[in-house]
Amino acid sequence: MQVFDLGSTGPISGLITAREAGLVACQRCGQVHKRDAVYCKRCEGALQSRDTESLQKVWAWLIAGMIAYIPANVYPMLLTSTLVERSESTIIGGVWELIHHGSIGIAIIVFVASVMIPMGKFVAIIYLAVTVQQRSGAHQHGRHKAYEIVEFIGRWSMIDVFVVAILSALVQLNTIATINPGIAAVSFALSVIFTMLSAQSFDARLIWDADRTAG
Amino acid sequence: MSNTEPTGPAGLDVRPVKRPVWKRLSLVWLVPLIALSASLYAAWQSYQDQGTLITISFENAAGITAGETAIKYRDVTVGEVEDVEFAFGLTDVLVHARIDKTVAPYLDDDAQFWVVRPDVSVRGITGLDTVLSGVYIEGNWDTDADVAQFEFVGMEQPALTRAGQRGTQIVLRANDGSALSEGAPVLHKGIQVGYLETPELSSNGRQVVVTAFIESPYDRRVTSSTRFWDTSGFSVSFGTGGVSLDVNSLASLIEGGVAFDTIVSGGNPVRDGQVFDIFDEEQAARDSLFIDPNAAVLEMAVLFEQSVSGLSEGAEVRFQGIRIGEVSDLSAIVVGESESAEVRLQAVLSIEPSRLGMSVDATPDAALALISDFVARGLRARMVTGNILSGALLVELVQIDDALPAIVTLTSGQYPVIPTTGSEISDVAATAEGVLARINALPVEDLMDGAIDMMDSIERLANDEYTRAAPAALVELLDETRTLVASEDTQAIPGDLRTVIRDLDAIVASAAEADLIGDLDSVLETANAAVANLDAATENLPEIIAQVEALTAKANALALEGLIATANDTLAGIDDLVSSDDAAALPGTLNNALDEMRGFLAEVREGGAIENVNAALEAANQAAQAIETSVSTLPELSARASRLVAQTEAVVNTYSERSRFGTETLQTLRDIQTAADAVSALARTIQRNPNSLLTGR
Repeated sequence: MQVFDLGSTGPISGLITAREAGLVACQRCGQVHKRDAVYCKRCEGALQSRDTESLQKVWAWLIAGMIAYIPANVYPMLLTSTLVERSESTIIGGVWELIHHGSIGIAIIVFVASVMIPMGKFVAIIYLAVTVQQRSGAHQHGRHKAYEIVEFIGRWSMIDVFVVAILSALVQLNTIATINPGIAAVSFALSVIFTMLSAQSFDARLIWDADRTAG
Repeated sequence: MSNTEPTGPAGLDVRPVKRPVWKRLSLVWLVPLIALSASLYAAWQSYQDQGTLITISFENAAGITAGETAIKYRDVTVGEVEDVEFAFGLTDVLVHARIDKTVAPYLDDDAQFWVVRPDVSVRGITGLDTVLSGVYIEGNWDTDADVAQFEFVGMEQPALTRAGQRGTQIVLRANDGSALSEGAPVLHKGIQVGYLETPELSSNGRQVVVTAFIESPYDRRVTSSTRFWDTSGFSVSFGTGGVSLDVNSLASLIEGGVAFDTIVSGGNPVRDGQVFDIFDEEQAARDSLFIDPNAAVLEMAVLFEQSVSGLSEGAEVRFQGIRIGEVSDLSAIVVGESESAEVRLQAVLSIEPSRLGMSVDATPDAALALISDFVARGLRARMVTGNILSGALLVELVQIDDALPAIVTLTSGQYPVIPTTGSEISDVAATAEGVLARINALPVEDLMDGAIDMMDSIERLANDEYTRAAPAALVELLDETRTLVASEDTQAIPGDLRTVIRDLDAIVASAAEADLIGDLDSVLETANAAVANLDAATENLPEIIAQVEALTAKANALALEGLIATANDTLAGIDDLVSSDDAAALPGTLNNALDEMRGFLAEVREGGAIENVNAALEAANQAAQAIETSVSTLPELSARASRLVAQTEAVVNTYSERSRFGTETLQTLRDIQTAADAVSALARTIQRNPNSLLTGR
């Protein structure tokens, strides 16, 4: 059997992928099979050298996530009713209020968690998908790292939804003070879920295919 | 065939056949499609549901907050304020609001908007919920969708009448608007059945016009024969039943209000906009019930020669005791020309034909014909006293049987003139009830015969020690006479009677010569003078009568202090009379007369003029009889006098009681004033600081 040099320090162009080697790795347990194998011998998982519909799924989930993100910002997140008044606050409105009240630290946290991270994820996923489609060979390591960050950080995007859920559950004092989740809370949760699905649908191995065709 | 190297078939292009796009599409695409369509649907829906933008301009937008202040219709939120800004030139505050699409078509030109704020008034506290929740804009419009409008002018005060509220709007007219205020109640049998809206001056500025809203079903109680009257404040009335004080509810006391009643049935139902007059008093309103205020009246004039002081516009015109109209104008006019010109006082009478017993639709001309007919048969106008206390006069049409022929003058002036007869102002006084009537009822001749103080003087005369001494003096006189008769000298007379008689003749002759008869005459004259003194004392009586009449006249004019002063004067006059020198001198005079008689008898005894004694005694007896006659009338006079004094005292007491009543009324007024002050202070406090209702501060 031909032995390939799989040294990690060498240039990327000198590497060979499993696909080129006629092999396919099980994504669940890592067992390597012959290319024509359909099921993993060890875990009986479906084997697929490349997910041909990966990009489609990425785009579909991403678009759904972005659509859901619009009402998340337009509609109120929290419906606060007290004895005296009833107020509705959107994400950006809440940030403004926090700044007005001098809680700049919390404002930054909310802003980062609710605005910057989702937006950053959108941008990152779009970038990855576009570069894969264009079979660009540049920054393969960087792109892979970006993908990992997007996957990791996705779960923390739910922090807003958690806050709303906890507040709604705790502050139910009938007429004196009541907090209810707004439409935006649901939209935001959907947006985060869609984005996470989008990131998961992305087949990172496609990044490494680019230089093969290009090179 | 080529000669190039490899033979055999060319390398197969083994690229897999491209599947069609729709086959390669993943099902995942359904997710963004669903999300997109859901979003689009939601966006479209919210655009569809977006309310109609309207603009309301207010002078004052206190408490209105963009994005929070709600617009409510019958307490249901139908919109929200989106923006508050100033109009061009800072004249108004423009409130932009979104109104629900379903409601917007009903916002036509009858829509009204006002800001609901906490309000404390004597009728209660409203809008208390807005202390906590903040103000809101209340809208009011009817349920007919006409041409929708988008710009409105907000009202500063809440609309009292809800559009679409069932009831009748009527117009009330009053001469004085001080009793009318916005929101004041309209009462029917003491129940509030409606309220007044803002009073306004009529277009000619002579009356106050206010729209009143009578709620259904009470508006059915309002007919064309309904009368309204003012119930504001309270009324005090004096009548035969005593003094009555009417106080209505506290609200109407402070805010005013009107009440109405429909006594006669058969009036026509009223429509919106029917005009009614507000009468000052309930009695006046009820009095006017049988006439239509809008019916034509017959105007006639009466020319009086004497003063019409006491007659005023609005005074009643009575025909055989029934009110048939009122005096509508008083003026002076010149009658005749140049030298024969005289100023007469003209009273214009407004006579309502229907009150003359004619049919409701009788014309003034028909009434004039009727009255002309009456006048030809002796109907005359005169002034009579209507109110003995106030001295108010009224015009009475009376039938005079022996009247000089006269007719209604149609040509002399603006109005047909009814001929007059002598006014019977005092007649009424004579027949009126009460004290002054009784004073007037005293016959003048009786008063001439005696007087209060005369009686007192005579009583004092009777009790005088000199008077009491008079019988003793007479007894002494008789004793002396007897002594004279029984004396030796006298008894010696028969012995020598002839001589004596002759001597007596001589004595008589000498007595005639010595003017003894003249002495006797002078004694009798003195006695006569005594009687004349009595007469002189009686002559003061006309003065008293005059004073009593002056008292009556002043009482008529209701000059209270004058009345008391005059009464005092009268009493002082009586006192003066009693203590006058003449009266006091009377016993002395009588005594002198007796003294002189005694002296005369002594002279007779000494002079032996026996036969003159009887004559002298008879003269004295006549004098005594004259005195007795005078005395005999005195008890009656005394009774009258004491009655007079008692009546006067009663009058004075009555008035002083009334003044106590006045004090009590004043005190009540002050109490009410204090209460009103406290209420308004509370109102001010709450207006300044509505929170105080909550915090209790």
